Amino acid sequence: MTPERLFEALKKYAESQRIDLNKDREYVLEILDGLLRNEARHGYRSCPCRLATGVRENDRDIICPCVYRDPDIKEFGSCYCGLYVSKEWNEEKMRHLRVPERRPLDKRGG
Amino acid sequence: MTEQKKKVRLYSLSTCPTCKKVKRFLDSRDIKYEFIEVDLLDSGEQWVTSKEVRRYNPAVTYPTLVIEEVITEFDENAIKESLDIE
Repeated sequence: MTPERLFEALKKYAESQRIDLNKDREYVLEILDGLLRNEARHGYRSCPCRLATGVRENDRDIICPCVYRDPDIKEFGSCYCGLYVSKEWNEEKMRHLRVPERRPLDKRGG
Repeated sequence: MTEQKKKVRLYSLSTCPTCKKVKRFLDSRDIKYEFIEVDLLDSGEQWVTSKEVRRYNPAVTYPTLVIEEVITEFDENAIKESLDIE
């Protein structure tokens, strides 16, 4: 799997969910490269913008699409990582705010 | 070229595109910085480093960019300037 091929697959998936991939293709390809690298080292596609433990059970909430994606898109128009966005967000009909981390603090390490 | 007065440290994830944006910006300005890819550390180091990140950024999110000023003598003006006080 390459980031480009994953891009095509996820674009169709996003359409089926009535959302979009971020229109910044280069940025999306960087995210997808990170997703594939996480899949290679952990065995699952954990969010590339978060620190995974490498233990599937502990990271279940951040396997992409993460459980926080839908509430983030509903509130901010974008997921935490900026991969999945609403059509309004892509069309710049809403402000592009930084999406705060919803993941419980005790799961973030440290 | 003048010596860089502030110490810069970037806590990053090797997979995170926003971390890469910060890194590219620092590189484009020839900023010297310590670069730590937390996800590539072994689990013990990762645990210690995550604690360090939490000290600076209680949200423990990435990128975390720390810019610190080091003052090594009693230089009242430097302290005032650094803390932005009168």
